[in-house]
Amino acid sequence: MMMRRPVLILLLFILFILEGTVVPWLIPDSWQTRIVPNLVYIVILFVSIYNHRHTALVLGIVFGIMHDIVFYGQIMGTYSFAMGLSAYLMGFIFQAPRAPMPIMMTAIILGSLLLDSTLFGIYKLFQLNHTSYDWALVHHILPDLFVHFVFGLMIYVPLRSQLEKISKLNQKEKAA
Amino acid sequence: MFVILIGLVMFIALMGFTLGPRTTLSWPEKFLRDTVGFVQNIFYKPAGYIAGLFEDIGNMKDIHKENEELKIALAQYTREKARFNFMESENIELKTALNFTKAQLEKNNYEHHIAQVVSVNTDPNNRSLVIDIGERDGVKVDMSVTSVDGLVGVVSKVSNFTSTVKLITTMDVKDPNTNAIAVTSLNNHKTFGIIESYDEKTDTLLMTGIKEDDPLKEKDTIVSSGSGGLYPQGMIIGTVDSVQVGEMGLLRTATISPSANFVDWKQLFVVFTPEVLE
Repeated sequence: MMMRRPVLILLLFILFILEGTVVPWLIPDSWQTRIVPNLVYIVILFVSIYNHRHTALVLGIVFGIMHDIVFYGQIMGTYSFAMGLSAYLMGFIFQAPRAPMPIMMTAIILGSLLLDSTLFGIYKLFQLNHTSYDWALVHHILPDLFVHFVFGLMIYVPLRSQLEKISKLNQKEKAA
Repeated sequence: MFVILIGLVMFIALMGFTLGPRTTLSWPEKFLRDTVGFVQNIFYKPAGYIAGLFEDIGNMKDIHKENEELKIALAQYTREKARFNFMESENIELKTALNFTKAQLEKNNYEHHIAQVVSVNTDPNNRSLVIDIGERDGVKVDMSVTSVDGLVGVVSKVSNFTSTVKLITTMDVKDPNTNAIAVTSLNNHKTFGIIESYDEKTDTLLMTGIKEDDPLKEKDTIVSSGSGGLYPQGMIIGTVDSVQVGEMGLLRTATISPSANFVDWKQLFVVFTPEVLE
């Protein structure tokens, strides 16, 4: 039972690796420049809802920093900021240990929109992109949202049961 | 509330700090990049092979036709190679006769080093990819990276065993870190223009500063001219889609569709330029 939390971190790390290596091969060529699935972020959202928003904040910042450093093109800190902040906010609004599926899916939809919009906003702020928001919305934010939603549906059942076990573990530790 | 405010300020400071021209990385960054790069390397190649296998089965019937075309191209290449060798040796003789210095002689003597892609970031705001050669292999920041088809980008960050490539699709006039490419036409070296921005909406590069009497026309292949320093000479960039009168009316602009296709990355070449002695 004590092994669950390291397993979660390991799962996130493997997802992070898959995101940059296997996922681009799965996406059809014409969509490769448009869909940017952030699978790690979806798992962090689950943590944020079913566990605690502070855990999600830390995970978001850590994995965001990792993304920033590995794919360091022009600027660093955008992903850690966007992932940490949006995961925290989603947890702040929706956090409930017994949240039913529709609430979780709403959190994924809003969280995905918030993440991509925050990223867009930061790049706009530093004048690193020169497209308009409505174009970005149609061109990659909405397709992204769809992929995130499907991925969320796929991992909902197994991930939720694991996270609930972790939460129970936390409560036991507190009680003891 | 106070903590959030401090966090926000810290992040903006971090972004501002890393935005400028920062060439070297600190050791924690290098360590993380190399570790992650090593793990990514294990995953990327097999995934590519499997995806490539399905693609190959799909392309099976085109192979015969492609083979014919390649044979013709090879024959032409062999004929031109003989001519090229003569011209090159004559050129070197003339240069030595004119007492060129060693640095001048070796100026356009580039080496192409092959590199495997280990991971890709498709984020439209910051498109970059990671390759498996780094500082140990002599890669430096700002080296050009090409695929078999044409120029792909420049090395933006280097750590010991991996480097990050910033794609030319992130080129932007307003970005202080973007270096413009001086370009010319493959067929007619009188053409001169500058490429410094990429239009995401149409997936084309914009070539500006073309003179009115310029012989540039549609379907011309555009290569880097090598003047200006950063980009080596003769990197294939793309073909001309259309030529228009520019905003000011005096100079013309052209839209260029890049010849490298920015999907399904496998091998890339890093162009090593000869060391300039100071």
